[in-house]
Amino acid sequence: MTRGMTMTSTQRGGVAVRDLEPRAAATAAARRAPGRARRRRVSGGATPWVLMSPALAVLLLMTVAPAAYLIWASLRSGTLLNPASSFVGLHNYREVLTDPNVLHSLLITAAFVVVAVSVELVLGLLIAVPLASQSRSNNLAATLMLLPFAVTPAVSAMIFKELLNPNYGWVDHYMGVLGLPSQVEWLSNPGTAWVALVGLDVWQWTPFVALILMAGLQSLPHEPLEAAAIDGASTWQSFRHVTLPMLAPFLAIAVTLRTIQAVKTFDAFKIRTGGGPGDSTEIINLGVYRIALQSFRIGAASALAMVLLILLSLLVPVLLRAVGRNANPEEI
Amino acid sequence: MAPHLGSLRRLVKPLGGLGAAALVMTAVACTPGTDESGSGGVGEAAAKPVRLRMLYATAEADATAVQSLKPAFKQRFGFDLEIDTQPYDALQQKVFSEFASNSSYYDIVIVDTPWAPALASQLEPLSTYVDNAALNDVAKADIADFVPKVFYDTAVYDAKHPAKHFPDSSAAPQTSAITGKGFEIYGLPIQANALVMAYRKDMFGNAGEKAGYQQATGKPLTVPKTWDDFTSVAQYFTRPEKKLYGTTVMAGVGDWATDDFKSLLAGWGGDGHLIGDDQSITFDSPEGVAALQYYQDLINKHKVVPPGSTSASWDEAASLFDSGTTAMTANYHTLKLDSKVKGEIGYAPVPTGKAQGPHFGTWMLSLNKNSKNKAWAYRAMTWLTAAEQQVAMTKLQLHPTRTSVYQRITTGSASDPATRNFYQVLGESLAVGVGRARLTNYTEVSNAIAKAVNKAASGRTSPKQALDEAAAEVTRLLKDAGYKVPGS
Repeated sequence: MTRGMTMTSTQRGGVAVRDLEPRAAATAAARRAPGRARRRRVSGGATPWVLMSPALAVLLLMTVAPAAYLIWASLRSGTLLNPASSFVGLHNYREVLTDPNVLHSLLITAAFVVVAVSVELVLGLLIAVPLASQSRSNNLAATLMLLPFAVTPAVSAMIFKELLNPNYGWVDHYMGVLGLPSQVEWLSNPGTAWVALVGLDVWQWTPFVALILMAGLQSLPHEPLEAAAIDGASTWQSFRHVTLPMLAPFLAIAVTLRTIQAVKTFDAFKIRTGGGPGDSTEIINLGVYRIALQSFRIGAASALAMVLLILLSLLVPVLLRAVGRNANPEEI
Repeated sequence: MAPHLGSLRRLVKPLGGLGAAALVMTAVACTPGTDESGSGGVGEAAAKPVRLRMLYATAEADATAVQSLKPAFKQRFGFDLEIDTQPYDALQQKVFSEFASNSSYYDIVIVDTPWAPALASQLEPLSTYVDNAALNDVAKADIADFVPKVFYDTAVYDAKHPAKHFPDSSAAPQTSAITGKGFEIYGLPIQANALVMAYRKDMFGNAGEKAGYQQATGKPLTVPKTWDDFTSVAQYFTRPEKKLYGTTVMAGVGDWATDDFKSLLAGWGGDGHLIGDDQSITFDSPEGVAALQYYQDLINKHKVVPPGSTSASWDEAASLFDSGTTAMTANYHTLKLDSKVKGEIGYAPVPTGKAQGPHFGTWMLSLNKNSKNKAWAYRAMTWLTAAEQQVAMTKLQLHPTRTSVYQRITTGSASDPATRNFYQVLGESLAVGVGRARLTNYTEVSNAIAKAVNKAASGRTSPKQALDEAAAEVTRLLKDAGYKVPGS
């Protein structure tokens, strides 16, 4: 729009008049033959849809269709092996939303997501800032940093479980060597089990956050920082008032993607605690898994998944607004 | 410059949906297709297939042992047996999705007992096959030879009322008696796992230990046969300063904690099935509270288990015993001491209280209702589960399901004394063992009970409170699954 306006202002005179003539002629022709003009408009309007159709088809197939099936399944009774299901209205939702265990699991999942993503964001930023300047040593450090990110979550969960074993695990051994309390029953107490679970998540996913923030830092313009330095800003002031606001969109990306990933966490909890001790680490996905893939109660599982879908869909815009509020208003 | 946040939001909104859609995938069912069963090669004169396909469990039902029979199978049948194996969780999902889509790909499918109530209507009833001599020409089904409890608990169901157990589980199985009571045969058992106690034979036989125990308790050191003796022996061997403990428990949240509890419950005279055939809650009885109190005391009062036991599964329990950390354990399979641990293992039934009822869980080979090679698949099942093949597979640790096999492998000299000892104890345990409640959502119910056992085991809740909470939770789960719970 800006570019178009500029062109108009620089091409006053004959050129603009010449441009207008065919347009006026076309308008007059359209008045004379409204049917033909409408066909042309329709044809022009359909082109973007035609061009977008492959992407729309993929989107329809990958997201809309499963979501529609999910809604349909959530309103029906029945199990995987009982195709004679019937319409039960909101019964499955009532069952799910009045289950105290589900509400407990949702709260636990929310707490896990908030704590894990917050820690990862802070640590990711602490890692990204020194590694953002491109040098050979930084490139090597960045590569090493990414290693935990490359390990399959199920494998890392199994390894961490062995490392934390109070009878023969390395962690217990080296804590003893360092004079720290040994034979800590990490996964037997709710507090330490959470430390272990959040610790693994932080170890695994902080590199992902750092990677996004490093990319952001490397793409920031130098001019504002140079201007701040000329104005006498300290390093901290430059970071706090110049770098961090400019980094807000990247923080928003990191928070949003990690929140979605963290809500989906399953392997680490299934392998390491199974929701225990008691039900203290019973995140919502463990319940969905048992209902959907062990009891195959498809209606109830679909209702639970729908609740999660709605919560997540509501959460994402809120996150974007909250984290990105310091970004350029024109870009929000 | 910074990316456009408005565009970003438009990008991420559907991503939020995608994130949840990944969870959704867990709920997406397979739409049943058309029935392709037709005649399914059911006649005894049906032509030989090019191959048979079998879906099997990787570890829990000893796939290595069954795979070792493939050359002999080819020689006997003249065609191949293809065996696809999957780990437990993936296997369950694969089995259910195969049946949900009416697939005829696998002719034979292995079925674990917790799955059978939901699957019974999808499996081919076998009583007419068993009674047809022409279909038993390769190997006889000889169902009377199966350990009765194992056979009835694993393979005999009333498809209309899959929660019901066969009323007389001690009689030698006969098709007429089974069908006469409205039940059917839905498979042939191939692997029977039971909770068996293992102990350090070298420690129990050590003269110094014997004298020490005599001095400490005034009784001779023997392998405990009662739970009281078990506590006493476990206390004696517990030496935390030497990283040695009396026994293990499997008190982490999982099916194993439920198995530990149901074995104790049966020992205390309660119903080891946990839930009655009419879905009455039976595990929160006074016997249940007493059994769980014993479990809690073992861990918190007597402190005879290693640290971390309240997060341990059967796997950790085995590792602890194998590494020489405990003098006794209870598990589902044979154990092997680490090479650095010099010692010997003995096996014995889990101790007795007022009664005895170690947990057992079994696997059966079932015929896919949609198979196009039913006659030959049935013949393959009879051959794979025949006594001769089961004896051969015990060399690779198969847990047999036939009485005659236990007699042969525990009396002959074909195996080493430790192996004979294990199979003798396994056979005895299966004869008195208690299986699971027959519920379509057994896993959910078992998990609710396991959480209660875990809470009590860690001392955070009293046994009574834990079981009361579990009873309420199980009642709700049963109702959600469509059951009517008496008294609720």
